[in-house]
Amino acid sequence: MTGLPSREEAAGLADVLERVLDKGLVIAGDIRVNLLDIELLTIKIRLLVASVDKAREMGIDWWEHDPTLSVGQRDLAEENRALRSRVAELETATTDTAKAKA
Amino acid sequence: MTGSATYLYAITRPLFDDGFAASGASAGLHGVSGAPVRSIAAGGLACLVSSVDLDEFGEDALRVNLEDLAWLERTARQHDEVVRAAARLTTTIPLRLATICADDAAAARRLAELDGQAASVLDDLDGRDEWGVKVFAVEEPPDDAAPIEPARTTGAAYLQRRRSQLERRTARTERAGQFADAVYRQLEDCAARGYRHRPQDQRLSGVAAPMLLNAAFLVDRQRAEEFRHMVGALAADRPPDAIVLTGPWPPYSFASVQQP
Repeated sequence: MTGLPSREEAAGLADVLERVLDKGLVIAGDIRVNLLDIELLTIKIRLLVASVDKAREMGIDWWEHDPTLSVGQRDLAEENRALRSRVAELETATTDTAKAKA
Repeated sequence: MTGSATYLYAITRPLFDDGFAASGASAGLHGVSGAPVRSIAAGGLACLVSSVDLDEFGEDALRVNLEDLAWLERTARQHDEVVRAAARLTTTIPLRLATICADDAAAARRLAELDGQAASVLDDLDGRDEWGVKVFAVEEPPDDAAPIEPARTTGAAYLQRRRSQLERRTARTERAGQFADAVYRQLEDCAARGYRHRPQDQRLSGVAAPMLLNAAFLVDRQRAEEFRHMVGALAADRPPDAIVLTGPWPPYSFASVQQP
């Protein structure tokens, strides 16, 4: 088996945390660990574990506004729109000039 | 708060109760805080547990400790170690981190309450492992390194250029998303089930390229080779490290059944 992209080393911390904190069977213990607390920890841990839906339920959606974390679709769409309207303006202007010359 | 409590790691069938000690698997197996792991039985199930100190695992202590990344990492890895040890021996339902009962008797009562549900989860997980597959957008050089244009610097030419640049970038983002979806769909065909975790942030994945897909698959052991080959084939015509396979994992991502 060649070129198999398997990683044999110890599992990455992010991989382990997203599983042990966010997955696994939940049974109610006697020690109440508020799982919301786990997701309200620090920004670092939130980055690791908060699933999008759960975080949204809690009103955490900062990554959507953080350009370093989102794909930047929004900005791109914005810029696209602005450029398209500018191009349209210029095209109209060019046509008008051509008409005027004719 | 002082005293001790019982920390629960994983649920198995009762055969494990005998097998665990008899196989010598428990020898040297330590859980959170280094406490020895033992097995308790109830309700037709077995559960791996260890004793914990309420000074460290009581409600107030946990609230503080869970915010300590070093403590969290250590505890998460110890928890994972025990779950893995169980999964090497038998079908295992991993429990969420920090599932703690007052004592063994309380833990046994919880197990008994779970019985029917846990049994069907165990049946579902029999002979299957979890595999992780991540896809990264490590491909083409940045598109700003577009072909060098002649020095026509009229506004229209600039806009033209800018527009095609943006279109290329949009198309590439779409292609990357489509590729991630295609990888997921193809691997899902080879798996009993799939689950898409949220892609990890670059600062945490430790990989410069953005993560496009962070998936987990529950795969029949009989099909594990086929699955690995499929991942290998998908990876073959991508840049190195564009597709990363991890596993086998205990079936963490497929045991999230909520108690009624």
